[in-house]
Amino acid sequence: MNKELLSQKKKSVLIGGIALFLLLSNFSLPQSQSFLNISVKDHPKLSRIIVESSFPLSFEIEKRPSDVRIIIRTDTSFLIQKEPFESSVIRSFGWRRGRDYYILTFNIIPGRFSYDYFTLDNPPQLIIDLSPLSEKKEELLPEPTIVPPLSRTERPSAPSREIKTVVIDPGHGGLWPGAMGKSGTLEKDITLAISLKLAAVIQRNLALRVVLTRDKDVDVSLENRAAIANNNKADIFISIHANSSYQKDARGPETYFLSLEATDEEARKLAYLENNPTQPEEGIAGGNQDEIQMILWDMAQTAYLKQSSELAESIQNELNLLLRTRNRGIRQAPFTVLAGVACAAVLVEVAFLSNPREERRLLNEDFQNDAAKAIYDGLVSYLERNS
Amino acid sequence: MDRKRLAILGFLFVFLVVLVFIFFKTGVREKIKPSPLVPTPESMELPAKPGAKIEVVLFFLSEKDTYLHSEKREIDAGVSVVRQAKQAVEELLKGSQLGYISPFPPETKLRELHVTRGGVAYVDFSKDIVEEHLSGSSAEISTIYSVVNSLAYNFDSIKRVFILIEGREKETLGGHISLSKPFLPLYDLIAK
Ligand SMILES: [Zn+2]
Repeated sequence: MNKELLSQKKKSVLIGGIALFLLLSNFSLPQSQSFLNISVKDHPKLSRIIVESSFPLSFEIEKRPSDVRIIIRTDTSFLIQKEPFESSVIRSFGWRRGRDYYILTFNIIPGRFSYDYFTLDNPPQLIIDLSPLSEKKEELLPEPTIVPPLSRTERPSAPSREIKTVVIDPGHGGLWPGAMGKSGTLEKDITLAISLKLAAVIQRNLALRVVLTRDKDVDVSLENRAAIANNNKADIFISIHANSSYQKDARGPETYFLSLEATDEEARKLAYLENNPTQPEEGIAGGNQDEIQMILWDMAQTAYLKQSSELAESIQNELNLLLRTRNRGIRQAPFTVLAGVACAAVLVEVAFLSNPREERRLLNEDFQNDAAKAIYDGLVSYLERNS
Repeated sequence: MDRKRLAILGFLFVFLVVLVFIFFKTGVREKIKPSPLVPTPESMELPAKPGAKIEVVLFFLSEKDTYLHSEKREIDAGVSVVRQAKQAVEELLKGSQLGYISPFPPETKLRELHVTRGGVAYVDFSKDIVEEHLSGSSAEISTIYSVVNSLAYNFDSIKRVFILIEGREKETLGGHISLSKPFLPLYDLIAK
């Protein structure tokens, strides 16, 4: 009897100990520095709320007509940090603390939204995605089969506008060096040098306006590069880069145009846009380069893929002659800088910095001039074909 | 006397723990647990005989062209798609056994992998994948699509792949391709 009691006591002490351990391990950390970090980001087609916490929490989510609420039941007090945001969907953020809970409120614009959420562990994050459900888009996109097939000549192929402005985009810059050669050459320096030479040769020989997205060693975001092109009503966009690969022997030029993720929906849009080419009517008003405007231009490049592939071909042909390499050729990839550009747009990888021989050439000013000239020649042959 | 006290203290703690659990685990409205949200694929029962193997196809670079090349690899059949997908990525990071080139910085590690109901795999890599990355366009494209194609090709429940670094969204690996939305596979990059 006595023995049994003793062992029971032992057990309870043990359990108590475990409980104490659990309590300590769970709750000593938050006392030091508990925070909730709130951020909101607009992505093409959705707005994303990210709530990061200093330790895992249970959430409840309520979606209401004009807001989304996150309820966190806790006794811990949090430092709530909000990163400044601009969003086309989320208007404002506020929070309130009750005795044993927090309510975070995100006010949203009127309209119908689909919403999705998920959590990540390390660091703990709750992520809520809101996507506007627009019925308008569906009206805009008739079944491609309804469109009567046009003959090759009748087809309103190229937005055959007069080509007036070329935007040249020297890749990377500022804190973003891009690729690096074995002897330390930085991609951002090579791209700027070749871009300046290209701009000069165009201005000397053609009656075109040339705009550079940067003319010195500064950061420009990928979205803003596209915005600069659209704001200036670019007719041609050429992004200049120097390549690197995990292949030891990679060498030679490559010219890219945008690849599309071939979802059914996008294939339909593409089919539609190809038959109904659009032009940027107004550009983006008053030099406004913010991200919200850019989202409207997300699909901009899809209407110009045919022209972009032609431009890529013209430039690649000239670069192949210059570098006398086997043709690595014209390729497609989802380059972010190209996606928002509303005109023929290509990304030129002049040569490989990861290849020591090509690194030396890229550093050489004569070669830089030759490369600029080759890209210029490619541009001229594209202009001839499209005038 | 002392023991009695301890016992009482012990029971008090147990009571507290229960209270804490009630606090955190109750709720009538839509609720998210702090644990990974992987309802379908994680709970998907797979015929798992101990020691059973399945074959997956991994994609690596080759010295001879710009395409991704396939390499078959055996992994444990495991108990869930998520476990299999994790193994596949880990094998990918170990590199080729046929002499192909690995398009990852050698220190890169897989931290986490979740799959959502919607078929998005969240693949979380260590920071080495950015910090040690070659950062050229070709390198960036091959890193991204080696992972994306390997996962989408082998696992029907993975439709898109979202790449995270140290558990967070990152803008790009090397300054060219945004990581802010999940990738669909790009099978055009695979050698015919
Ligand atoms: Zn680059």
